[in-house]
Amino acid sequence: MRDLTIDADRLARELGGMLGAAVQRDPASLRAHAVDGLVPQIRCAPKDTDELCAILRVCDASGAAVIPWGGGTAMHWGNPPSRADVVISLEQFNRLVEHDDANLTATVQAGMRVAALQELLGGRHQCLAIDPPDPQHSTIGGTAAANINGPRRMAYGGVRDLVIGMKMVLASGEPIKAGGKVVKNVAGYDMCKLFVGSLGTLGIITEVTFKMTPLPETAGTVVARGSLAQTASLIEALFGSVLTPAAVTVVDGRVAAAAGLQPAEASVAVWAEGFTETVARHVRDVQAMAGQSGMTTEVVHDIGHRRLWETVRDFGAVGAPPVVFRLTVPPADVMPVLAVVCRLSDGGALRYVAHAGTGTVWLAFDTPAPVTAWFPRLAALAQEYHGHAVLAAAPPEVKRTVDVWGPSPQALGLMQELKRQFDPHGTLNPGRFVAGI
Amino acid sequence: MNRDKLIRELRAVVGDEYVLVEKEDVIVYEQDGSIMQAMPEIVVLPGSAEEVAAVVRAAKQANVPIVPRGSGTGLAGGAVPAEGGVVISLARMNRILELDLRNRLAVVEPGVINQDVTKAVAADGFFYAPDPSSQAACSIGGNIANNSGGPHTLAYGVTTNHVLGVEVVLDDGRVVWLGGQVPDCAGYDLCGAFVGSEGTVGIVTKAVLHLMRSRESVRTLLAIFDRMDAATQTVVDITAAGIVPAALEMMDRLTIEAVETGAPVGYPRDADAVLLVELEGVREFTERGAREVHEICMHHGARQVRVAQDDAERLRLWKGRKGAFGALGTLAPNYYVQDGVVPRSRLPEIMRQIATISARYHLRIANVFHAGDGNLHPNILFDMRTPGELDKVIAAGEDILRACVAVGGSITGEHGIGLEKKAYIGLLFSDADLNAMAKVRKAFDPDGRFNPAKMFPTPITCAEMRRAPAKIPAGLWI
Repeated sequence: MRDLTIDADRLARELGGMLGAAVQRDPASLRAHAVDGLVPQIRCAPKDTDELCAILRVCDASGAAVIPWGGGTAMHWGNPPSRADVVISLEQFNRLVEHDDANLTATVQAGMRVAALQELLGGRHQCLAIDPPDPQHSTIGGTAAANINGPRRMAYGGVRDLVIGMKMVLASGEPIKAGGKVVKNVAGYDMCKLFVGSLGTLGIITEVTFKMTPLPETAGTVVARGSLAQTASLIEALFGSVLTPAAVTVVDGRVAAAAGLQPAEASVAVWAEGFTETVARHVRDVQAMAGQSGMTTEVVHDIGHRRLWETVRDFGAVGAPPVVFRLTVPPADVMPVLAVVCRLSDGGALRYVAHAGTGTVWLAFDTPAPVTAWFPRLAALAQEYHGHAVLAAAPPEVKRTVDVWGPSPQALGLMQELKRQFDPHGTLNPGRFVAGI
Repeated sequence: MNRDKLIRELRAVVGDEYVLVEKEDVIVYEQDGSIMQAMPEIVVLPGSAEEVAAVVRAAKQANVPIVPRGSGTGLAGGAVPAEGGVVISLARMNRILELDLRNRLAVVEPGVINQDVTKAVAADGFFYAPDPSSQAACSIGGNIANNSGGPHTLAYGVTTNHVLGVEVVLDDGRVVWLGGQVPDCAGYDLCGAFVGSEGTVGIVTKAVLHLMRSRESVRTLLAIFDRMDAATQTVVDITAAGIVPAALEMMDRLTIEAVETGAPVGYPRDADAVLLVELEGVREFTERGAREVHEICMHHGARQVRVAQDDAERLRLWKGRKGAFGALGTLAPNYYVQDGVVPRSRLPEIMRQIATISARYHLRIANVFHAGDGNLHPNILFDMRTPGELDKVIAAGEDILRACVAVGGSITGEHGIGLEKKAYIGLLFSDADLNAMAKVRKAFDPDGRFNPAKMFPTPITCAEMRRAPAKIPAGLWI
């Protein structure tokens, strides 16, 4: 067993000798980088990969626990860390390295803010079709590490589908790369897949190459209001059709109101984008289907469309409610699951955003009380449908009583061995991942 | 190893008729679609995951390598038993276990033939998107091992984008699920790491596949160009215009000559390139998209653009492309296909470089490839009977791969590394990069028992490797 107490003063001196002013120890800054209440002792911001490698070498050798930090927008994810000594901020990794627009790819440093990237890409009529919450603050590396997906996943794929290359630094301080900048590539293992969603426990991502999407000529959303049963029948008709919407999302009345829409028991928002005539066709057909389900519709464009999808995007992450669950179930089971959940909550303090095309259901509660009762119930419900439930956010004292990732996966042994291979000293984000990895 | 004891054990597991040891029985397993050969010692055909697990345990006990094999259509030697041991053929495990169309899922065994998945759901308006050109023969298990692509993966993604979960047998005979019936399962994305691992970390015994809804409309165009440069620039511009076709395929002058000699479809023999573009989606999308593609082709001086008016015409336009591979035989007794990839923005440049390499080696190279995703298939034509020619061909192939890497590309887009390209993987990855991959392998398979001598740049230690002309079943194309 290694001695887990570190000499922070000595470590800070050593890091300071390498990085100078980029090593911070001021209490206010450190408190702002607490993870689930655990305040780190040192914060540093390397300016390049060489510095990052050097920091990791020192931390790994001294037994210091490292918390990689992007925009800090997904720090509520995962179990509370078992230790948190050094926060490594990627804020200086903030450049767009290359946008090869004729290849529809872009290579981006991990600390770049998503909104800043989208602005540069937009100048050349392209975008990254991932919609993480709070794009002004969330970063590319954090989005990849935490596998944060948005409503348009059903049309463009998730983070794992859009990432084609990566650079990372392992706990030992060794820099590696994976994949490349071509959209089709089977040379060697697909290492990017392992790092997407690994929550910084295998290495620190420093650069990501993505597939781009052309900016659509136009976009619009049909919102249909009605009961949960009507919503279910519209969604069934929609998925039985030949339409190819960008997103199909169900929200409750309070979320609808926050998005500037007239509240109802349930509202379905169907996002269509592309050529003008394609969008018009989708709007027309979805309205007709909603009419057949007896629902009232409205069509939103421009500001209304943006406000709606920003509300959906930020749900459960910005101005975080105390407790957020994420259920993932097969797509056709979203409505049955939602019906059960609504019945259980009995008009209580539950709000939801459910992506019917990808099977992702977000549930938010305004008080921490329900976790003990609800988590096992939701986990069982999801499992009944061959899916799973994750406690995405909760106060630290609540999180300490459960494994937020739910029951351990069957392949846990393999995952633990993989962690041992990549981070034998348990330096990176110790305790935050599945079963305390 | 005590060979007789192992054979007895294997027979007890799968039954006498499914353990092959005689030369006349195992010889058909000595090769895949590549030019590599090695005679298997033992071939086993298990019928269930439990049997696969028992075979794996027996091989571990006897300390011999395990080589998984699907239909043997791979083009990189991945199924060739380079270090002997037990070849496990998954051909008997060919049942579609479950179709859940509401959730767009199919649960299948690894020996199911790719095309049979789509056949099983087509009447209900669904399809399985990855369509390797060998789809009439290749198996889902092989597709998973190689992360197979195909002409229509441009818009829909390759195998890894359509596999949600796999049940696998690990090196100690444990059977575990990686991933599941939904995405984002808790923990590392081991399913994502497994897909494309070329049989080196375990054997897939079940897979959950994602099905797609058939599109309302398909539009197919064929454009004929007098200059290759104009054709490749057209591909760049279609991509840059933000139109993502379902397929975007290219053939060069030599391929056109082969097609018109072997199975004529009416391409002008003096054309330098033929571009095949297919758009799928709602009618409004395909109509407008086809119009814009047509304009881009004309803008780059296409001599002619043919637009299919119905299904019969569409099949006619595809006929030349699908027949191209087989028709190459009319130009030379042998051909060696490469699989490099380049960023689409560099297509014009790489085609010029391939022409230069062709001239330098005095070897004819016919290009027929997935232009839309930058995935080249240069076919180097030669005659195996000419002494020393195969070595020259391999040297020219290496030059092409180096050229691809030099412009930011990769050495393989869909065929895999296998035996064929393991010497070149160092062109792309540093020792540290490869060492990280080795850590993954070690976590799964600490003894390195599964498919040894593949993918990693290690020398082959025991079996005698031979090279012979590729044996591709008739009617397949690439």
